Amino acid sequence: MTSPLLRTDAVAALARARGDMLTLVTMQAVDPWNALGQADSRNFNVAGCMGSAGSIGLGLALARPHDRVLVLDGDGSLLMQLGTLASVGDHRPGNLYHAVFENGIYETSGGQSVPGRGRADLVKLALAAGYRHARRFSSPEELAAGIDGALRETGPVLLSLAIAGPGTISAAVPRVPNKAAQVENMRAALSGEGSQPEQGEIP
Amino acid sequence: MLAAIRQARVTHVVTVPDTHQRTLLDLLAVSPEPELITVCTEDEAMGVNLGLFLGGQRPMLLIQNSGFYAAMNTIRGLSLDARAPACMLIGEFLRDPAVAPADHATRLVNLLEPTLQTWKIPYHRLDGPGDLAAIPQAMDEAWRDRKPVALLVGAPTAEPA
Repeated sequence: MTSPLLRTDAVAALARARGDMLTLVTMQAVDPWNALGQADSRNFNVAGCMGSAGSIGLGLALARPHDRVLVLDGDGSLLMQLGTLASVGDHRPGNLYHAVFENGIYETSGGQSVPGRGRADLVKLALAAGYRHARRFSSPEELAAGIDGALRETGPVLLSLAIAGPGTISAAVPRVPNKAAQVENMRAALSGEGSQPEQGEIP
Repeated sequence: MLAAIRQARVTHVVTVPDTHQRTLLDLLAVSPEPELITVCTEDEAMGVNLGLFLGGQRPMLLIQNSGFYAAMNTIRGLSLDARAPACMLIGEFLRDPAVAPADHATRLVNLLEPTLQTWKIPYHRLDGPGDLAAIPQAMDEAWRDRKPVALLVGAPTAEPA
């Protein structure tokens, strides 16, 4: 008997498995991710960018071949730039891990169904596009048992997280620097400067 | 142009191929540096550009005027808002190099410079070999000011000698 997978369960599993991975997070996963203390200088919140998390992840993975890069994406977001699967599959960065929260809806705009809900299979699409591995997780138990192994495989790897609901964020969501300050903070962290994080204006 | 791009210390050229810059793309495809990265849409190109920048690289973009229009919201989000450099070689598809852009009947050409002005994106025209110094200058400008800068390629690039 397994339980339904909630977004907060999946985010918590990814946070536990993250280690020192560079992370890019978009849409509904941002708040639970940040509430777990993951909004550090190796993380970038991709807010308001209409499906760009995957392509930013591709660029970052190509720029930093010795770092592992984890993208926390949404199904509606990925569908906005579905060609990213082909671009990732073409370049095949071995250090890119693409987690996609699949709830089948545009949650922020009121829960409308995404095109292809229940039919367009992102796991099959990713494999057909050239991802080395892709698999779906539908329960917290499956994810707990499989996440570490999935993040040790050679990328690109797509992890479909079939979530049944948002769950409850149990900790306070911290305020984070604006996008420009996050960019500067990540660049400083990766250049080894170790500078004080910039706060920037809160968006 | 390839020499000017190398002089600008560009590490990667991210592209959705452009008709005007076909021969430059041919050269880039067989050149070990800068690395050519081809993606499906200009939105993706902007994302890859930001990811490379985050990771410490020095990329530029090679796209077409139609692709610039298509990617405007992403340029807003991933370059203007994020204050990330995006130096864009933009081929002026359907531009007659003998005619000023504003005098073209096609909006693809005559709206480009007014659009860039509205968005406060600096631009430089590349109409001939005498304009090549603008490439390293535009890269430096984009990097110094952390913003998009456009290089408008007004004529098809020639076959290499």
